[in-house]
Parts: sequence; structure tokens; C-alpha cells
Amino acid sequence: MTVLELEAKGIVKRYGALLANDRVDLFVGRGEIHAVMGENGAGKSTLMSILYGLQQPDEGRILLRGEEVHFRSALDAIAHGMGMVHQAFKLFNSLTVWENIVYGAEPRRGAFIDRRAARGGVADLAARRRLAVDPDAVVGKLSVGVRQRVEILKALYREARILILDEPTAVLTPQERDGLFHVMRRLAAEGRTILFVTHKLHEVMAITDRVTVLRDGRVVERMKTGETTAREIVRAMTGRSVSLNVDKAPARPGAPLLEAVDLTVASLGGKPLVDKVSLRVRAGEIVGLAGVAGNGQTELVEALVGLRRLDGGKALVGGVDVTGADVAARREAGIAYMPEDRATVGSALAASAADNLAMGFHRGPPLARRGLIDSAAITNRARALIAKFGVKIVSERAPVGSLSGGNLQKVVVARELSHEAPVLIAEQPTRGLDVGATEFIHRQLVAERNDGRAVLLVSAELSEILALSDRILVMYEGRILADVPQERASEETLGLLMAGRAPEAA
Amino acid sequence: MNATPQPGAAALWRWRPPSAALAILFAAIVGGALVFASGANPAEAYAQIFFGALAWDNLPNTLNWATPLVGMTLVAAIPLRGGMINLGGDGQMVIGGLVAAIIPIYLPGPGPLVATAALLGAAVAAGLYAALAAWGETRHGIPMLISSLLLSYPAVGVASYIVRFPLRDTATGLPQTALVPEAARLLTLSGALNVGLLIIAAIALVVLFVDRRTVAGFELRMRGANVRFAGYGGVRLDRQAMRVMFASGAIAGLVGAIIVLGSQFRFIDDALLTPSYTWSGLMAALLANGEPAGAILAGLFFAALQTGGFAMQRETSVPRVLTIVLQSIVILFLAVRHGVEKRS
Repeated sequence: MTVLELEAKGIVKRYGALLANDRVDLFVGRGEIHAVMGENGAGKSTLMSILYGLQQPDEGRILLRGEEVHFRSALDAIAHGMGMVHQAFKLFNSLTVWENIVYGAEPRRGAFIDRRAARGGVADLAARRRLAVDPDAVVGKLSVGVRQRVEILKALYREARILILDEPTAVLTPQERDGLFHVMRRLAAEGRTILFVTHKLHEVMAITDRVTVLRDGRVVERMKTGETTAREIVRAMTGRSVSLNVDKAPARPGAPLLEAVDLTVASLGGKPLVDKVSLRVRAGEIVGLAGVAGNGQTELVEALVGLRRLDGGKALVGGVDVTGADVAARREAGIAYMPEDRATVGSALAASAADNLAMGFHRGPPLARRGLIDSAAITNRARALIAKFGVKIVSERAPVGSLSGGNLQKVVVARELSHEAPVLIAEQPTRGLDVGATEFIHRQLVAERNDGRAVLLVSAELSEILALSDRILVMYEGRILADVPQERASEETLGLLMAGRAPEAA
Repeated sequence: MNATPQPGAAALWRWRPPSAALAILFAAIVGGALVFASGANPAEAYAQIFFGALAWDNLPNTLNWATPLVGMTLVAAIPLRGGMINLGGDGQMVIGGLVAAIIPIYLPGPGPLVATAALLGAAVAAGLYAALAAWGETRHGIPMLISSLLLSYPAVGVASYIVRFPLRDTATGLPQTALVPEAARLLTLSGALNVGLLIIAAIALVVLFVDRRTVAGFELRMRGANVRFAGYGGVRLDRQAMRVMFASGAIAGLVGAIIVLGSQFRFIDDALLTPSYTWSGLMAALLANGEPAGAILAGLFFAALQTGGFAMQRETSVPRVLTIVLQSIVILFLAVRHGVEKRS
């Protein structure tokens, strides 16, 4: 470490009885790319929002280039040279790139915005930083990778010396990610400091200089990336050793259980969201559906499970045409479904775990008879599932809104797997989950496949797709570009397909 | 400093006095201040409200007022339990009242049978009218909040036209229908009380049972907790909305019918709407966030408050509008608390 750019000393932050940060010390050197890692709930987000002035610590000090600072707001932090790129971009989609970048810090001429100076300044900055972007492009029309570049430029325009990147690669293709890493290295070489918050071990290994690992609100480990291994970082994060690989025997697929034939979902006006997609998932195999978010995967899944009307084509479950059937009928026909958004679709946060676990089973025996609910049966079933899946919850009466992301997902997984339906659609099953919970869910998915179920795995996480799938479909702009057996897939080929490059003739 | 708070302290920190009780207390204080500022004695005003509502001799009055008010509370609470709002109670009640007045006047037959037909006719007509609002939302995307309210005005207007012109009572010349034959009126229990009280009580029990013990109640609660989750779990949302609105409207129709057949014996223009049962009922339902037992209690509380208000107005110089002010403060206070909790 050369010169210390940022120090946090003894940061304490409480939320009621919960201690989110417990005397956290963080030391970041100038020009360093510093990873902050930890499982969900370890206190990373709290620490970052304190450093960016969004929250005030209950105790502790922050030193910037050796001087103590007190940020009362994010504006305060920005004025001191902090910049943050949030996971969900904070941009105006209908405005141009330059308008977004200068927003709130516009060059003025009298009472008016000096548009020429603003636009010129942005173009200049982009050129100087070699972050290629057209200042006049409308942000809503840009790809996610470019939007992220706009966010970075926005911070640099405000002279940020320290950049906080919160899970920046979650929405990127591998190629876009490499582009981002390139930019990060260049910024670091110029003496800017980068705080990199992520779950992804290989990215930490690839780009960072140092790692600070948090667990339960405390710093448990400070490491030099060059002197550690991914396995050691995981052990620090979880406090135990976790298998990073998924063991599975070769697939022995049987009859097709889930089929789509020329399935189409129209959009208002533009290109169809799902454009004549045909796919087939057989018993005993996991088919991965890869693609950058927003290329029609969500719509395709909604059309398969009955949450969205088809504008053409057919859907079949176990050979039975369910095209006209509603959600209840399709579930009856044999679909279990873990939705992408577990908090707003997959559960009712205000309702108890027992009620959440009963949903979908509540109409017939053993939970209901002749229209009457058997509360005792609901309670017993909930207790059994909570125990079997190891959900950490006070009681089955507690609302699931109190659970962590991983435990909430376990509730969803427990419910959907207990359907024992022949078809399982798992959409982003481990998004936002920590290593331990991810490992658990991966094991469950493989077990389902080994039990002869047809699993459709939709994920934006290439490593997950590669680790679990027997066959991989790549979706781009509403169509399936390729169907690749797992053995012949690599991050590179899939990445190119995800960016819309046609597969080379093989 | 100690890093881990004491368990006892944590429990105390988490403990919150029940919102409704606090809201009522707060309203009583503000209301008392208002009475005091106007130069009257708050203690006396409250005592008059209390005895006016709950003294033995006044209880029948209170129950008579509570019957339609609790009925309209259920009208609002049932959709609210599923996160829907029925603002069209006025129109539905008027349709029920008018149908209940017309059937006995034109349908010959034994009294009890005619009365039953009138009650059922009122419920079905008002229920279908309410379901129209749900249909507007599921088929045409008109938010139910708007469609239910806007459908109310034509119903009230047309009913008013009917009793002013085609069906005007020729004997009195007032905007009201002719009298319902005596045989078709609701049985009197004692004094001012009639069978309507028992009908609403029975409906309240049915609503409680459906809410707690049936599949339909479970599905409605889940819809209220998260409508997307309910749809994902296989609840047929469109059909559910229609049925719930039908049930809600049917109860509103029954309330109208009970007033017509039980106390006014004819449909009088505007008479059903002046006491604003719909809005008091909506407030009571909101107070309990649609949970039926709580909503019924709140409805009873408001009924007592309002009946007590009449006594207070008679005995002191304080106008009974004070009780409406108290009601509103209770709701506002609760809304503020909810807002605060959401933000923190």
C-alpha cells in the first residue's frame, strides 16, 4: 500500500437491535482496486452507504487523504470526490448522454445552461478517458454496458477520486465485463481508487489488488489478492469451506416434458418480445437459458407458466397442450416455478411462512377439503418444510418479509419442489444469494434432474449456466440463437452469442 | 459502549402500543381541545356521547344505527381484504333500496315470501351492479377505484328520477315511492329493532367464517398481501374480483333493502344517503385494514360514537358534527403512523 486514500475506523451502525456494522476498519490505498466481499447481510451495503454519505454511522471516523470528514449527504460525499455507480442505474432514460452526465452540475451562462459547453465538456471527458460514448445518444436506447459507462462518466465529471462500484458486472455480458475491467485498470493507473463490491470470486481474483472480507458486520479478513485463493476467500466469507463445483453424472434424458412450439409474445408496436421460440426440455436434463437480461427470457417464462397470454404458437407440458390454460391449470398439468423476483412474485412478504408455503396447495387435500382450509395441516406442512430445507425463521407464523434473501428463496424453493411436478422452471434461482445459499440451491436443482424431472434454468449468470446445464440455449432479442451441448460451451462462445453474434458454422 | 443491546431493551424498543387504541386516544384529546376552545366542557360532551350511546335505554337506537353502518363496513372491508376498493356503496345501496321498495308494491303474494323476494332481488341487483365495476377493470383496465365511484352517480341519479316521476307517490306528492304493504315489512323484534339486525349479524358471521376458514378467504387474503403472488400461485384473479365485488355490492343492496323494508317502508329520495353510512363504513374498514373482525368492531364503535353524538347535541351546546371530526382524526392519525412505519 502506498499512500492511504480512504480510511474508515471503528464504524458502527445499528438498526434497532441489529448490528449492521460492528467496529469496521477499512484501509484503501491510493490507486488501488479494493474488493469488499461478504455474504448477504454481512454489512457491505451499509458500509458503502456510509462511505457515500447516504447514512451516518453511529460511531467511528472516516478519513479521506488523512483528514477526517463527516458526510451529511451524498452531495457532501460527491463534493469530497466520492462517486458511486449503483447496481440499478440512476439515469434518465429519455434524456441524452450529455444531459445525464451534467445533470445537477451544469455549466451555466447566467440563468441558462450553457448547452454547448456542457456537451463539449462531456465529449472531451469521454475522449480523454477513452470511454467511447456518443454524447447525443438517448440513454434509453443504449445497451446496459454503455449505460454503465455513462454512470462512470457522471462520477468522473464530478471529479470523483474514489469510485464505489456496487455489483457492477451483474448486468453485463462477459465481453462488456472485460471492457469494464479495462476501464477500471486505467482509472486505477491514473491514481483513482476503486471500491469494488461483488459476490463473484473470479472477478475479484482477476482484477483487485486487495480484499476486505466482512462477515456478520465485522471485518474477518484483509488479504492481498495475489497472495490468496478463491477458496480462502470463500472460507473467510462463510466461516466454513464450501464446494465451488457442482458434481453431477452425465444426463440420461427421457421423454420431452416441457415444449414450446413457435411461441410468440408480441409487444406494443415494436419487435415481438418472444419471436417464434421453439424449445424442448426432456426428463432428467437441465436446460440452461442464457442471455443478457431483457432479451425476452422473462416473457418466455411468463408465457410458459401462464402469466402472460401467447400471441402465437403453443406450449405443451407432458405432451398435453396447455396453450389456452391458466396458471392453476398449468400447475395442475405439472409445472413448478421459481420466479425471478422472489419478493414481489414468489412470495407475499406480509403473509406468514405457513401461508406462503401453502399457496398453490391450498385448494385440495390435505390442506383443504370441500372448500374449507385445515389450518392444522397448513401449520404441520410448514413446520416440516422449514425443517427439511433449513429455513432460518422464528416460527411458521412469522411473516416472510423478515427473512434474508437466501432464506426467502429457500421458502420459495421448498414450496415449489414440494409440488414434485415433472417440470421445474427456475428463473435466476440464486440472484443476490451468497455462496452458501447458492450451493444449497444448486444441489437441489441437480437432485431434481437426477430424479427425472425436466429443469429449465434461466440465468444471467454464465458460470451458473455452465456449471449446471446439460444443454444451453442462448436467447437474444426474443429469439434462440443457439443450442449448445454443455461440453462444447465456454464462457467466450456463449458471451459472443449473448451479444448477438451469430454462431460460426460448426 | 456495549455493542449488543440488552434483550429486554430490544423487546421494549420493538413494542408498540396498538395503533387503533392510540389513534382513538389522540382523537379524543384533539376533539376535547376543540370542544374546550369553543367554550364547552369536554368531559361533559364525552359523557353525553358515552351515555347517549350505551345507556340501556339508548342501546336499541345505537343498534339500529349500527345495523346499516356495520353492513356498509363489510361492503368496504371485503374488497379491501383483497387490496381492492369499492367506493360505489352509495349507488349499490340505493339500487337495493329501490328494488326492495318496488318488488312488494308490484308483486302479489304472502308477505314473508314477498319480503324474501325483495331482499334477494335487492342483493342480486346491487351485486351485479358492483360486479360491473370489476368487469370494467379486468376487461377494460379502468381502475376499480374510479369505476366503482363513477358508477355510483348514475345509479343515484336514475333512482332519484324514478321516484320523482314514474313512481312518485301520488298520495303525498313527495319524491318517494308508495308505502310497502305492511305484510311485506321486516318483522319487528322489539321497539325500533327489526329482523334486519339479525340479517346483518348473520352476514357478519358468515364473512368472518369465510375469511378464516375457507379457500376463498385464503385466496382473498393472499391477494391482499400481494396480488402478483396470488396470480402466480394460481388464483384466478379476474373471476375473484368479480365475485368479491358481487358479494360486496350484494351486501350494500341488502343494507338498502333493510332500511326500506325495516324502518322507512318506502324508498325516499336521498334518505339512504344522508347518514353517509357508506363513508363511515369505509373508514371503519380502513381502520382495520380490511380485517373483518376489526372492521366490525370499528363499525360498532363509529355507530356508538354517532348515536352518542345525537345525544350530545341535544344535551349540550356542542354540535354532533364533532363525532365526525373525531372519526376523521382517528383515520388520519392511523394513516400518518402507517406512513412513518413504511419510511423507517
